[in-house]
Amino acid sequence: MADSKTERGVKWEVRANDHYFHQSCRRKSFLCFRWGRYADNVVRSYKYTPLTFLPLNLYEQFQRVANLFFLLIVILQCVPIIATIPWYSTMLPLLFVLLVRGCKDLATDLGRRRSDGQINRRPCDILTPEGFKTVKWKDVRVGDILQVHKDQVIPADLLLLCSTEPHSLCYVETADIDGETNLKFRQALSVTHTELNGDSVKQNLAAFDGIVWCEKPNGNLHSFKGELHWKGERHLLDTDHLLLRGTVLRNTDIAYGLAIYTGSDSKILQNCGKLKLKNTQVEMLLNKTVLVILLFMITTALLLAVGAGLFEHRVSPKYDVVSVLQRDSSPAYLGFITFWGYIILLSPSMPMSLYITFEVIHMVHCLLIGWDIEMYWEDNNSPAQARTTTLNEELGQVGHLLSDKTGTLTQNRLLFRQCFIAGHIYGDMSKELKPLDLSWNRFSCGGLKFSDQRLVDKLRERSSPECQEFFTALALCHTVMSEWRDGLPHYQAASPDEEALVCAARELGWVFLSRTRETLTISEMGLTRNYQLLALLDFTSKRRRMSVLVRDPGGQLKLYCKGADIVVLERLQRDWPLQESTERALELFAQGCLRTLCVAVRSVPEALWTEWSRTLSQAGTSTGNQETVLEEIYDQMEKDLTLLGVTAIEDRLQEGVPETIATLRRAGLKVWVLTGDKTETAVNVGYACKLMDPDTILIQGEELRQLLESPSPDVHVMSKEPEVWITDRRAVKSKAALVISGPELAEMTKAPEWGAKFVALSDQCQSVLCCRVTPAQKAEVVEMVRKHSTSITMAIGDGANDVNMIKTAHIGVGLCGVEGSQAVQNADFALAQFRFLRRLLLVHGHWSYYRICILLRYFLYKTTAFALVHIWYSFYNGFSAQPMYESWFISLYTTLYTSLPIQCMGFFEQDVSTKSCLCWPEIYSIGQKEQLFNPLVLAITLLYSVYTSIILFFIPMGILQYSALDYQTLAVTVQTSVLLTMTVEVILHTKFWTKYSVAAVVFSLVAFFLSTLALHSTRLFTASPKDYFFLGASPNAYSTPEVWLTICLTTCIAVLPSITIRALGVVLTNPNKHKIHSSNKPVELKSWFQRGTLQRRSSYAVSQGKGFGKLITTGVGLPSTAPPQDRRVTADSLKKESPQGSLIEMNSGDVAC
Amino acid sequence: MYNFPGFIKQAPIIRKTDRADICLKVHTVSLSFLSEDIRMKNEGKSAQRPDNTAFTQQRLPAWQPILSAGIVIPGFLIIGLAFIGIGIGLFLTSQTIQVQEMDYTGVEKDSPCFRCTIPSNLNCTCEVTFSLSTLFTGPVFFYYGLSNYYQNFRRYGVSKDYNQLTGDTRYFKSRSPEEDCSPYSYDSNNNPIVPCGAIANSIFNDTFELYQIINGTKKQVPLDGRGISWWTDYNIKYRNPSPVNGSLAKAFDGTVKPINWPRPAYELDLTDPNNNGFLNQDFLVWMRRAALPQFRKLYRRITDGDYAAGLPAGNYSLTVHYNYPVLSFDGRKKVVFSNVSWMGGKNNFLGLAYLVVGSLCVVMSVVMLVVYAKFKFSDDDDA
Repeated sequence: MADSKTERGVKWEVRANDHYFHQSCRRKSFLCFRWGRYADNVVRSYKYTPLTFLPLNLYEQFQRVANLFFLLIVILQCVPIIATIPWYSTMLPLLFVLLVRGCKDLATDLGRRRSDGQINRRPCDILTPEGFKTVKWKDVRVGDILQVHKDQVIPADLLLLCSTEPHSLCYVETADIDGETNLKFRQALSVTHTELNGDSVKQNLAAFDGIVWCEKPNGNLHSFKGELHWKGERHLLDTDHLLLRGTVLRNTDIAYGLAIYTGSDSKILQNCGKLKLKNTQVEMLLNKTVLVILLFMITTALLLAVGAGLFEHRVSPKYDVVSVLQRDSSPAYLGFITFWGYIILLSPSMPMSLYITFEVIHMVHCLLIGWDIEMYWEDNNSPAQARTTTLNEELGQVGHLLSDKTGTLTQNRLLFRQCFIAGHIYGDMSKELKPLDLSWNRFSCGGLKFSDQRLVDKLRERSSPECQEFFTALALCHTVMSEWRDGLPHYQAASPDEEALVCAARELGWVFLSRTRETLTISEMGLTRNYQLLALLDFTSKRRRMSVLVRDPGGQLKLYCKGADIVVLERLQRDWPLQESTERALELFAQGCLRTLCVAVRSVPEALWTEWSRTLSQAGTSTGNQETVLEEIYDQMEKDLTLLGVTAIEDRLQEGVPETIATLRRAGLKVWVLTGDKTETAVNVGYACKLMDPDTILIQGEELRQLLESPSPDVHVMSKEPEVWITDRRAVKSKAALVISGPELAEMTKAPEWGAKFVALSDQCQSVLCCRVTPAQKAEVVEMVRKHSTSITMAIGDGANDVNMIKTAHIGVGLCGVEGSQAVQNADFALAQFRFLRRLLLVHGHWSYYRICILLRYFLYKTTAFALVHIWYSFYNGFSAQPMYESWFISLYTTLYTSLPIQCMGFFEQDVSTKSCLCWPEIYSIGQKEQLFNPLVLAITLLYSVYTSIILFFIPMGILQYSALDYQTLAVTVQTSVLLTMTVEVILHTKFWTKYSVAAVVFSLVAFFLSTLALHSTRLFTASPKDYFFLGASPNAYSTPEVWLTICLTTCIAVLPSITIRALGVVLTNPNKHKIHSSNKPVELKSWFQRGTLQRRSSYAVSQGKGFGKLITTGVGLPSTAPPQDRRVTADSLKKESPQGSLIEMNSGDVAC
Repeated sequence: MYNFPGFIKQAPIIRKTDRADICLKVHTVSLSFLSEDIRMKNEGKSAQRPDNTAFTQQRLPAWQPILSAGIVIPGFLIIGLAFIGIGIGLFLTSQTIQVQEMDYTGVEKDSPCFRCTIPSNLNCTCEVTFSLSTLFTGPVFFYYGLSNYYQNFRRYGVSKDYNQLTGDTRYFKSRSPEEDCSPYSYDSNNNPIVPCGAIANSIFNDTFELYQIINGTKKQVPLDGRGISWWTDYNIKYRNPSPVNGSLAKAFDGTVKPINWPRPAYELDLTDPNNNGFLNQDFLVWMRRAALPQFRKLYRRITDGDYAAGLPAGNYSLTVHYNYPVLSFDGRKKVVFSNVSWMGGKNNFLGLAYLVVGSLCVVMSVVMLVVYAKFKFSDDDDA
């Protein structure tokens, strides 16, 4: 028995209501050891416990190379012979960095604990011997029986035992798991349903002693294998019996379930992947620079050590004062010692606190994104959210924006706007609608964006049989399920298109009331009629149409069909009337970017039906390629149709999308649209949202292939337009767009060199549309762009199908729209609306990039200029690694004296105002071109710091060599000059002076002078003469006019180039540019725009997958006469599988493309 | 993101399927707890509306200095002129300062101290004469200078014991960091050296007497050695040990003098008992080490008696008690007489540097003016 279970892979045993069995196997852990089998239902996302915080956090922190480096320096400083500066001068900044970082980690961890606690404390009902008792989530154990109410979140993975709905059905919303908002149903085994349900459900449940054997916990959300052993029988279990943790119970009053996987064993938690840490290009360049500095430092130390060796060799033998000190060590040994001494001395040139400052700045920028009220969306109460805190500056560098279409560009809300019936077009596209008076219709729920009184009048007067037939078709031909709430029908539809159509029919008086497996009940202008449903010819993406075959109350057989225009029009009776006006209507609808569907009818003779149904049932049992067979059979029925009319549905764009895309295009971004939708729809939306201009030519299909096969793809070759275009190269470039479909793309990715060509080609075009791509292909496209262009890619999407691409791109943005939170979970930034992207990129991104680049440059400048002074001093002190500064100055320089002003700049700096950022998107290109932080700029910065260090040493030295001033005075002079130079430099960088910036500068200077005086005071000296031997140096120096004159001169010369370059910049720039700063031109998002379309772009939209066909045809969930059977594990279970069942399998395979 | 192609079969039955995007069922995973967290927040109805404050909206009132040519060019001019002004002032002041500098190392054979350079010649005295044509206005500062002498060598610089020098007798016998003073910590008999270390040991021990020669007779110029060290050094940093039974020498019991010293610390100045021990002015001046290998240190001031107003014109003779060896490392010794102004000693470099920087600024402003004028006119042409 046990062996067979192992073979079947069911090794996880759950005994219902057996608390003691599971209690004995509870999983426990101590430190990193873990034993036991069943996890409790407590979520532990925190990392640290009070015991492990210190070691674990330190371990994590020392994984950073910079921290490790400085730890090594501290260790070196503890070796007396090479300790050029005391240990605390490096230890203090290191401790500071570790402390700040540790506090940050602790705060994050406490936040995690808090949110864990919130989840763990949620209430749920557990069955105890005394009946159901409300406990907390964390108290749920495996084997407990739970009661879940409507709209409650399910606390653990449960086996559904029974529910209050018929057949123990229950509906769940899985938005948080797979991003789909539509309801899914789960159904209990009929054995538990029949045995447990009833008046005494509690007693039955308490007595339930079934044992579940199932697979071990795993992260596969869509599969579950198990069996229930109860009353000596074995019942197979699959996903349909499982209620997953995190899903929400809907439309079901109460469901009872048995906890199978709890806590970390549950499927959703098993799925928790670790977030991959993304590094920005700027950071990578920074790391390289730091490496260069490190190499430079080592080389310099090496050279200086050689110098020291030579000095020992040549000079000191003659110089007994020194040579005695070295105690006859060999010059080589002394050089070696000096090398380490210089490593210590030059180590401040490594910007240790830079990393921590960098992190703090990133964090603040993320907070600012979240705080931006302009990116707050009132409707679903969601502010923008920065989920990854390391990518801010890259927001200012995005070159390619890859966007999903549905739900991102479009609202995914479809509205019935127009229709064409019998030669007339009803409805218009005007913005302002007079709402129709629909008070006569007691089923009206509102929400109709259609106003044409003529149609309503015709329908009410029953003066137009065509119109009536049209709406009868709409009310019958669909797979929508109705649900009654407050006396009104609400619809659950597989596709929003269908829902829009059925709702429109309802509003106009043709109300779909309910359906059973065999009947459809509709109310035609208040008159309830029953139609017998004979066959449902379901939608597939290949057929692009669906039909219903019904027997109307009069006994007539009718086939109602709706589908994409080309498929329906070719199945009409020959020489159908109104051909011309239909074409015109289709064209007109297409111009309005509306999705069209043709509706048609056919009267079916009784004989044909009998014959056809026989063929159908034969096909059901036949083997072979059933899909094509079925298709052929369906085809036989769907012909000789009569066109009833055309519906036009608006796929509403999200608010502000065209304006946003237009602005982003001006900012130099290449916007690509990646959609699973069909080419026509995508192209249509592309034109609608200003991705392409009305006269943009599309390069697609064979044309594109040829272009890519040519040695150097160039768009001009393709343009067959007048000469004017060819002469104006730029115009041609901007007037083309590439359209590629998924299958073509798959072919393309096989040949690697095409990717580069494609990306190169796309750079010449306005835009690229990738249609019919799978989620995996979306990621491939992103990968291709990343690989073949240097620009930063950003992917934006809202659904589960975008997760791949969001994770692949440099920056992933998730829209927290209707499609659940999956995209947001995996995104780096979460927005509520597409239009917020404009602000995120142009304002926050630009500022972040600007601030961070300036910060990094300044930081590198300040640390290297500071440390390089030691090199120059070496030439005058016999390469003895004598520090130029007091050791306290070395330790406080980075942490106290120069850190605040630059951080303020990093927080508040605005090179251009918000308005200007949005008004002149062209400014954005500085980030795309990496103008502020590239190897050249870095080299200049480092050279400038060399210059500064030379000035900082040689000017004071040149002046003071003629005087009787001592070393300490020179040290004070140089360090004051250093500090003033750095402060002036940061003042020059700051263009936006808030009170905080002023305070920071003042604070730094005051802190420097006060602490210098304090460190040179008597009190500290008497406490520890060894550490504060600069006693009296600064008061003495600062009372000497010569020192002040020196400091003043040194600072001026050091910053003179910087000032001169800025001044030249001011003089050379056109005065007009200053307007960017001062302009107050208001910027507003227009909520609507006028489309100007020139060409006909037909769009065909029908639901893309299968509908509720299976539910309807099997009758599950519908009041029907034959409840479905469970699959028992019996010998003949396979044979029992109905032909209908296999047909359904086929359909689902179909959906899977 | 994982794909499980094997599991494509069982699609959830009710599916929103208008989107071909979902067509290929990708089993998306890696949910985080935050999904539940977000839900909690939404349930909580706590409005997440951000605060509309100037800080959070980055609308802090700020001053945005916008530079224009109208500010920059005159700015440069003004800075330049100011620097030139300061430079001229400094230069002129520097010119008024009188300096009399004499190298007495005795490298050249004809120099008066040549004979003292022979190592065997102990307690050698030589005489350097000079004449002043005008009054050398007082107060006159008398420096000695050394060059090629690395007082800023790191190991040399740390070779002293601050605790010992504060007069703490606990550190006479034991050193706080044992390493620092070595090898001038103990003598060959393992007696502790006080004051220890290389700096103290290498104290400059040439002494000078200055005479004015009036009609062939030498008249000694009184040299004032008081207050030539820093106030903080004399009063705080260096303290003598408390005298034992009124005798400073007893406090130094059990210690030996630095090897190079002729006499122990408590007998540094035989003429003035208060100028002994660690508070000896010459010792203090020497201990404050120089920044560069070429340096000068204050030796005496001439402030007293007939010479309070300065050194009158005439012939002078400087008697040097030549003790300090520098020739082994090509060092030079010199004496410098100088008076001072508000800006310190004579320093032409400072004034010249100011002048150069100032002129640069002025030149820059002119260049910018020219450039600006060209640009502006070309703009006007465009307009």
